[in-house]
Amino acid sequence: MTDAELYHLLKVKYGFDEFRPGQLAVISQLLAGEDVLAVLPTGTGKSLIYQLVGTVMPGLVVVVSPLISLMQDQVARLNYQGEKQVAALTSQLDYGTKQRLLTNLSALKFLFVSPEMLNQETVQAALQQVPLALLVIDEAHCISTWGPDFRPDYRALGEMRQQLGAPRTLMLTATATEQVRQDILTQLRVPNAQQICYSVDRPNIYLGVQSLTDEAAKREALQRLVTTVSGPAIVYFTSKRQTDLIAEWLQSTTDLRVAAYHAGLSAEDRFKIQQQFMAGQLDVICATSAFGMGINKADIRVVIHYHLPTTLADYVQEIGRAGRDSQPALAVILYVPGDENLVRSLNDLTAATPNEIARDQQRFEHQLPPTTAVSEVLQFYWQRGVPVETVTDLFGQRQRTKERELNVLMNYVNTPTCRRAVMLAYFDEKAPSHTDTCCQLPGDALPLSALGLAVPIDVPAEPSVTWTQLLAQLFLPNF
Amino acid sequence: MLADYVLLLFSTTPRRAKGVFNVLRGRRTVSTLFAGLTANCLELLDSWHGVDLETLMAVVATLEADQLLVSTTEGSWQLTLAGQKRQQQLQTTLYQPQAFQAFQTIDVRRFERVSQLALQVISEGAHAEKRYYPVTSDPGVQATVKQWLRSSRQPMTVLGKRLYETLNDFLTTLDSDLATIFVMGLTGYQLPGRTDQQLAEQFDRQPLEIWMIRKDLMCQWVLWIQQHQTEPLWPLLAPLIQATAISQSAWQTYQTFLQQPDVQVIARQRKLKLSTVREHLLETAILMPDFPFERLLSSAVVTQLTTIFQEQSDVASWQFQQAQDQLPELDFFWFRLFQIMRCRQEVSA
Repeated sequence: MTDAELYHLLKVKYGFDEFRPGQLAVISQLLAGEDVLAVLPTGTGKSLIYQLVGTVMPGLVVVVSPLISLMQDQVARLNYQGEKQVAALTSQLDYGTKQRLLTNLSALKFLFVSPEMLNQETVQAALQQVPLALLVIDEAHCISTWGPDFRPDYRALGEMRQQLGAPRTLMLTATATEQVRQDILTQLRVPNAQQICYSVDRPNIYLGVQSLTDEAAKREALQRLVTTVSGPAIVYFTSKRQTDLIAEWLQSTTDLRVAAYHAGLSAEDRFKIQQQFMAGQLDVICATSAFGMGINKADIRVVIHYHLPTTLADYVQEIGRAGRDSQPALAVILYVPGDENLVRSLNDLTAATPNEIARDQQRFEHQLPPTTAVSEVLQFYWQRGVPVETVTDLFGQRQRTKERELNVLMNYVNTPTCRRAVMLAYFDEKAPSHTDTCCQLPGDALPLSALGLAVPIDVPAEPSVTWTQLLAQLFLPNF
Repeated sequence: MLADYVLLLFSTTPRRAKGVFNVLRGRRTVSTLFAGLTANCLELLDSWHGVDLETLMAVVATLEADQLLVSTTEGSWQLTLAGQKRQQQLQTTLYQPQAFQAFQTIDVRRFERVSQLALQVISEGAHAEKRYYPVTSDPGVQATVKQWLRSSRQPMTVLGKRLYETLNDFLTTLDSDLATIFVMGLTGYQLPGRTDQQLAEQFDRQPLEIWMIRKDLMCQWVLWIQQHQTEPLWPLLAPLIQATAISQSAWQTYQTFLQQPDVQVIARQRKLKLSTVREHLLETAILMPDFPFERLLSSAVVTQLTTIFQEQSDVASWQFQQAQDQLPELDFFWFRLFQIMRCRQEVSA
């Protein structure tokens, strides 16, 4: 297929005149029969790549995706774009629906699936019966960051790919260091894959850090930010409880329209909050990190981290939800000394000492079921006959990596020099020269006016509407 | 708030908490159903589906610590004097579901999901909007709605008008606040719908109370559609209705029993264990208002058990051991069947 034909397809199917950076190169390589590892910055329309390739090539596109909520968002987004032959195979489907889906795979063009689901024998068997156009590993950095001690099925993706007949494979991520890229290629057993890497930098996002003395000061700073800076805004938290509490507090102490979003909400409420946010009916979303992975709202102006992200790579992903319209946007971490301990305790949740690992292996030997989350992960290795020493090494390495990652993050938070340079150095990239609209150095105020972000959110008055009027609005087009 | 709704489930006589909760959670074992019969809460069967038992038991512990409930025998609790006062107060201030009995025979939750998407599709379609995020990506629900749309063979604007009229007819039967909560919760063209939390703030209630209200309104709507089978959504509801709350397998056993009452023969004919046949018959006896007890229980057993328990009016507290002491050959099945019969007689008296 020529470039001209691809441009034509882009226009006809998606209404765009130009590809975003990296899209065309990746598509061309895939159509030439290559496996591709694509590192493209957040907001560059990575899903368009596999959608377009799926349109051109016969067969099913299987997209391995890490979260159910993300898969559901992706299906909804493809539905929104008019793609009907798309489904997510998740554990939330009832038995009958899942069976019907598996026996009718040939009627689908896109199938979203988690690594755990893909590893099920029935799913593998069904997929072996249909031609595959493409295997996509979305958020491919999870292979390296989640695989060893949290979601071990990510480590089995290479084996699964072989069982599917080694289909053409696209690995997508927005953030991967050289080491993570190598790990992805090794684990997936595609050493010769083409690598197409673009800078992770998003120059239109100003990088700020506010160091505060205590929690009360942090709350105050948050309130000041959301009431003085242009919106809409996302505020990220580590815990569901804090997400709810602060959302409620902001809602009651400001005029802003605020909602909490986290995995504890029902699917219906999550959908409604996302849609309200997309429709401009909410000004601030207080959320855990899952929010925003699947949505594409171009005009998010501010991303605030009330709690530290887990790693600098996660931070890049999360702030990448801001400013997708290429207009100036702001990313701020609110930091109180000691906040890093919260990250440490989260890291500890997936840790296991050599003794614990050895004991768990004994448990497996005695054919007892796993009792903890860590034990469930270890079970994966015992079932594959991996020796205790290897698992101990793997867990030890992972903990050391996490501690290193935390140091990198804290270096970003505490640096007296250009933060963008620190961030880009981590990804082996050189930074452009520092300017006033690049990032916040210690002692600097946020240059809101220079960024054009000094116009606070203007909350429109909500008209009073009766239920009969609402009902008419819903169903009568000429009301 | 959950504690308030839990407190409403207790009375001045002891109730087995786990049994009652399991009725609400939709567990259909004979012992659970029997607990529901004795606590007179079978009409709430399956209405709190998905609520965690441990959470509910923790609430009971809190209510006990607050001296609103007291445990008389292990596993059973009853209201204290303060508990009675609080309950009376809650009965006037807290929203009381009216139509939860619909959960017994109708898959209300499935209808909720299917109708949500159907209403969204019609609302968007009536406005000629093709680009929208569907409220669910469940392929089963999507397929059901597609099929319904195809078979309805009507333009979207016509369906929109019909749905407007049908919902208007239903909602005018409700209090205005309830109608508003129902409509504000819907998703459609340019209206994503309000969450329970947002509705709670607007109506100055707790989110759980809004959850109860919306579940109850869904039940009321389902029962209304059942009475108006020419309405456009009836084809989506019809396949989700069962004739009875009794499970299909138990119902088949009961039909065999009607032909001939010997349980051994039924077991052979149905290729079931004798114990399963007995469980099926007990389930039917509990859930069927006019179960023919006399065709199973011999008058001799009835007389003997009546004599043994004549001094004990609280049927739920009867102990099998007491019957067995005097009738060593008696099987638990006959004791439980007799107990169910007496419970039914109490209720009808």
